[in-house]
Amino acid sequence: MTMKWLAVSHYFCPVNENTHLPPLDAAVKSTCREPFRRVDRFIQLALLGSARCVQDRILSPDCGIYIGSGLGPIGNNIETQQQLIRDGEIPKPFNFINTLGASACFYVAKNLSLNGQNYFISRRRGSLQAVLSAATVDLSLRTIRQALVGVVEEVVFPVSEHRLRQGLRDDVALAEGSHWFLLQADESGSRSMVTKRFVEYGALEVFLKSVWCVGDRLCCASMMGKTEADNIQSCYSVESMSDQFSAFHDSLEAAWLASCMMSHEKGKIFLIDGDSERGWSLFYFGS
Amino acid sequence: MPGAYIRGMSLNCALGEDVGSCVSAMKQRLVQTVTLTLNDFNEPLRMPYYRMNDSSELFDPRRYECLIPSVARAAVIQAGLSRDEIRKLPLFIGSSSFSIGLSELSYAKALAQHPQNAIPMPLCGYQDIAVILQQGLGCKGEIYTYNTACTASANALLGALNMIDIGVYRHALVIGVEMINRTSLSGFLGLQILAKTIQPFDLWRQGIVLGEGIGAVVLSADSNSVTRMRVIGGANNCDTWSITTANTDGHSTAIAMRLALKRAGIQPHHTCGIKAHGTATRAGDMAEARGLHHVFENLPPITVLKPYLGHTLGACCLNELVLYAGTLLSGFIPATPGFETPDPVLDLHPLTVEISAPNGHYLLNHFGFAGNNTVLVVEKTA
Repeated sequence: MTMKWLAVSHYFCPVNENTHLPPLDAAVKSTCREPFRRVDRFIQLALLGSARCVQDRILSPDCGIYIGSGLGPIGNNIETQQQLIRDGEIPKPFNFINTLGASACFYVAKNLSLNGQNYFISRRRGSLQAVLSAATVDLSLRTIRQALVGVVEEVVFPVSEHRLRQGLRDDVALAEGSHWFLLQADESGSRSMVTKRFVEYGALEVFLKSVWCVGDRLCCASMMGKTEADNIQSCYSVESMSDQFSAFHDSLEAAWLASCMMSHEKGKIFLIDGDSERGWSLFYFGS
Repeated sequence: MPGAYIRGMSLNCALGEDVGSCVSAMKQRLVQTVTLTLNDFNEPLRMPYYRMNDSSELFDPRRYECLIPSVARAAVIQAGLSRDEIRKLPLFIGSSSFSIGLSELSYAKALAQHPQNAIPMPLCGYQDIAVILQQGLGCKGEIYTYNTACTASANALLGALNMIDIGVYRHALVIGVEMINRTSLSGFLGLQILAKTIQPFDLWRQGIVLGEGIGAVVLSADSNSVTRMRVIGGANNCDTWSITTANTDGHSTAIAMRLALKRAGIQPHHTCGIKAHGTATRAGDMAEARGLHHVFENLPPITVLKPYLGHTLGACCLNELVLYAGTLLSGFIPATPGFETPDPVLDLHPLTVEISAPNGHYLLNHFGFAGNNTVLVVEKTA
């Protein structure tokens, strides 16, 4: 499956005990095409990232929206659960509705005046790969001409509790972010984007050898099979996502990829994921 | 030929614990709700509810590990997949609430024992159902979890269908799960759209009655000896008119229906029947009825299944797809209990008696919060 990428955006904000989460109201207001009330932080992150990616482009009316996230709108879910379990109150309607991941999709669609297909998909420690796979299949089937793909993760204070929820150690760094990619069903010209699936690792290896060039950047996903990741590491100059984006635990692939695409001028960027049971996915982005 | 076969399917809902018993109970109109009383709110909540018929306490957390894999296993067994195929089976899961019920129970327990250390949302994310399924079935394929309100399992099915269509997978397990939880019960109460009984498209309709259920389908590029149903197309769109309902002019619901029919390669007049979403809310039924009138010059027989099993939210597509397929394969299109007095504004008349179900194409509607509309087209073959 070959298509092209048109734009990318990258919002990444490390968070620790001594910092405050930066308010997003002003940034959202200045970036979005219309003002929104009753939106929580997760929705704000989605609005901000998607608007920065699209900027003033005119999108195809059938452009699909795909939001991935490991934890989803966790802040609003916490507030809602406290309302009903701790306080014995009926949740407020907008709190209840915004517990759904899809509410962020709604506001992104409304801001960009899009009425095409619209999905919220999660895969723990692999949400980028899940939404990219779903979007590229739809682009290949030509059910859509463009896809706006985003991965959003929110951090909630106190960060010690946020770590506990995820089973992370006390000293682990945290970050929130919103990373977006605008893709198009178009095989011509530069900025190509290719996804390939392989049942066998050997076939992936052969293919990778045929397309890899010196200067390309490559990363193995955090959940990739260890033996094969070690093998790739011994053959290619593999970057470690965790060095740069370890704080973005659930979706560090999205942070790494968006950051690479925004800074990389020449060569291709490869992301590999899979194991012998799941099969192998290769995503690569040309400059 | 585009589309994918339903190679195995199963269901556990208020009607029964398998497809056969559900269809049988439906034929006899054995529609049952329980009355829930929740005393842990400042003002006790009382409401009717469609619960699954297991013997456990309704809020027993062990029901997740007991009931969910059992439904999935039944679908996988019927599909006749090899051990290797099961191990590599990708999971497409749709739910509104995922494991929020477990998270609530865990938080409530912590508050009672150590209130200073209690952490809200102790279980977060969407992976718990997938983990339960993988452990229960021994499958280790890719996971896709959809959280798009009442269309969640419809979108999970559409995602699996597209991936099979393009050759990414040969088989996929699609599952819709909705288990009782306080967030959904109190949230819908707060929205003031709960009713005592479901009366879809009726003049006196007042809203929804919630329910729980688990539906599973093994979707496959290959048929087997029991396969007589195919999913042949579908479409999703987003209506930004309101976050709680599709535009009541029926514009966006009609677009989703037309697109689904187009992708399935059939004309509206080739449709043998429609499984309507039919939430029985004032606005929801209006948006759907007007959409149907935009698309169909002559409406095919319409059925709403929510009066049988309640509104099972994110799982409603899978639950209702399996139930509808079960009735079609048993030779009939079911009637819609609760519909008595036509609403002249809607001008829609769901079946009040069952009729025979011919082979052919059937349309299934699903509309949810966040403006999410998903329509599927299935084919019953000889």
